[in-house]
Amino acid sequence: MPTPNHDPTVGYPTNETMTRSDGPGREAGPPAIRLDGLRKTFGSGENAVTAVDDVSFEIERGTVVGLLGPNGAGKTTTIKSMLGLIVPDAGTVEIDGIDVHSQPTRAYDRVGAMLEGARNVYWRLTVRENLAFFAGLGGDSPSTVGGRHDALLEQFGLADRAETVVNELSRGMKQKVSLASTLARDVDVVFMDEPTLGLDVETSLELRAEIRRLADRDDVTILVSSHDMDVIEDICDHVLVLENGRVVADDEVDALLDVFRSQEYRIEVDDVLPAAARTRLETAVDAEWTAERDDRRRTTISFTATGGDEFYDVIDVLREHDLPLRDVESVTPDLEDVFLELTAEDGQRSTAESPADSSSPARPSRDGEPARDGGAEPARDAGEELERGDRR
Amino acid sequence: MSDGTRRDSGVPVSIPDSSIFPLLWVVAQKQVVLLLRYPLNTLSRFLTMFIFFLVVFFGGQAVAGPAITDTLDGIIVGFFLFTLAITAYSGLAWNVTREAQWGTLERLYMSPYGFGTVMAVKAGINVCLSFLWGVALLLAMMLVSGRWLTFDVVTVVPLAALTLASVIGIGFCFAGLALVYKRLENLFQLVQFGFVPLIAAPVWSYEWLTLLPIAHGSFLTRVAMSDGVRLWEFPASELVILTVVSVAYLAAGYYCFVFASRKARREGLLGHY
Repeated sequence: MPTPNHDPTVGYPTNETMTRSDGPGREAGPPAIRLDGLRKTFGSGENAVTAVDDVSFEIERGTVVGLLGPNGAGKTTTIKSMLGLIVPDAGTVEIDGIDVHSQPTRAYDRVGAMLEGARNVYWRLTVRENLAFFAGLGGDSPSTVGGRHDALLEQFGLADRAETVVNELSRGMKQKVSLASTLARDVDVVFMDEPTLGLDVETSLELRAEIRRLADRDDVTILVSSHDMDVIEDICDHVLVLENGRVVADDEVDALLDVFRSQEYRIEVDDVLPAAARTRLETAVDAEWTAERDDRRRTTISFTATGGDEFYDVIDVLREHDLPLRDVESVTPDLEDVFLELTAEDGQRSTAESPADSSSPARPSRDGEPARDGGAEPARDAGEELERGDRR
Repeated sequence: MSDGTRRDSGVPVSIPDSSIFPLLWVVAQKQVVLLLRYPLNTLSRFLTMFIFFLVVFFGGQAVAGPAITDTLDGIIVGFFLFTLAITAYSGLAWNVTREAQWGTLERLYMSPYGFGTVMAVKAGINVCLSFLWGVALLLAMMLVSGRWLTFDVVTVVPLAALTLASVIGIGFCFAGLALVYKRLENLFQLVQFGFVPLIAAPVWSYEWLTLLPIAHGSFLTRVAMSDGVRLWEFPASELVILTVVSVAYLAAGYYCFVFASRKARREGLLGHY
């Protein structure tokens, strides 16, 4: 996985404790996260459900990586296995070269995790008290983190609510407190499970900017699990797509989009298509059309161009038949389209495992894998646990 | 936390303290802050115990008359120890359930100090704070009853602490069960009531009762407070048995907790509620 451009020398300007020591030599170290052959099955016998099935990948330092997958794909189990919260049946997980399962406390020294959004802070403590608590829990002496916390509060727009009890904050604010508390001490790797779930648009955008800034400015490695494709496309350098516990795509966001770069067009003409034109369009681009026959003689032609001159071929046909253009619309695929394509259940799923041929993505069958119900993680997605009201 | 330095560069960055002080500090601070911020909640626990004592004391006087004074020392010391035991126990068993509800349990697990250490520190701080309530209740009970017991700190604190060690062991055990089986509130309450016969167990009549948790410590504390016996005046064998039994329960409970947390992680249950 290539490392995107970052400026690791830039630290938080307001507090020297937040300036990271990472220099150029940092690149030579082990990857921030390395998974090798991770496998986890819940239950046994007929009730056994394989949540994670031979998952391997590496994540370079200072990158933001999105972990995608439909419900039950194994995202949460993978993340929790990476954090040592779930013991895998097989495989190893290393964070900064440290085996999480054999040396958990050493690994935790470098890791922060925001697993349940707004829930995983103490609502009866103030914002600042939460930051102090989780910094101390991570081993940072209270006397050394005051400045860091001031900077974080400022950065997350929480400075004026620092002494407010979390319970009195809005959901978006709580979520920010959760993220700030995750960063309350110096960590190299941050895991975020649905960090923007339930946030309003403005807060979500702010949080995305913060996540991106962490990676760009502070060289923190961030793994984000989300169902929100906009979030992933917006902030991630790289995407891992899981389905039925397996990695079905592992690539940079742009490269993944390129794989599915087939362009869809909709052209509207102010007339009915003559039979000859229809035949030529069918032959040239496998076009489909719908005609409006009431008081308007109008036809909409839809086709997918996989590269080359298909668009111009269609225009040529329309010109030859004197069909006046009314509207031309191009539809560019976004990450959501790619995701749906990758995880399609119709046996026509494309794969990005061999993304070399960007003009004509391969469409293999489902790896000969027996169908599963996709429910490998019973009630394990964070979203399902977010709505429980409680006092803390 | 492990070495106070960044391994990849060797340059200290926001030096994590290698001692356990940061953990002790923030856990204690949190407990104290909550005690002060929610005084009604705190006070209601104290008042519940005090009212319970009043009912037993005045109710006993009405039923047994002056004879109540024969057992008054036992009642006062019993309430004192029961207050301590409940706080120490609930600080573990109930706390695990609540932390799972709040979504903070997994964060505690991911502490570089280790989950066991974090929970032990929480329990320790909880016991220390419970002494405040215990002593306050003790004073109130002695004031109301007019029966003033000996409270030699050097004697009572070690004896009560050893008594509570076995309670903490039980707390760890049930905290472990909560990690795996979750909603055990009813069982937790039953166990709490089980402390009453253990505190009142007639150890002087049946020696084997010293092998039960709480019982022996309760007996020695009662003797110390009502008869003014100092710690060093107890037979060494009594203190050795108390120490060994208490530490054994503590160790066994802690082992159960570690075992249960492994099981919870294997089954993906940690943090679920």
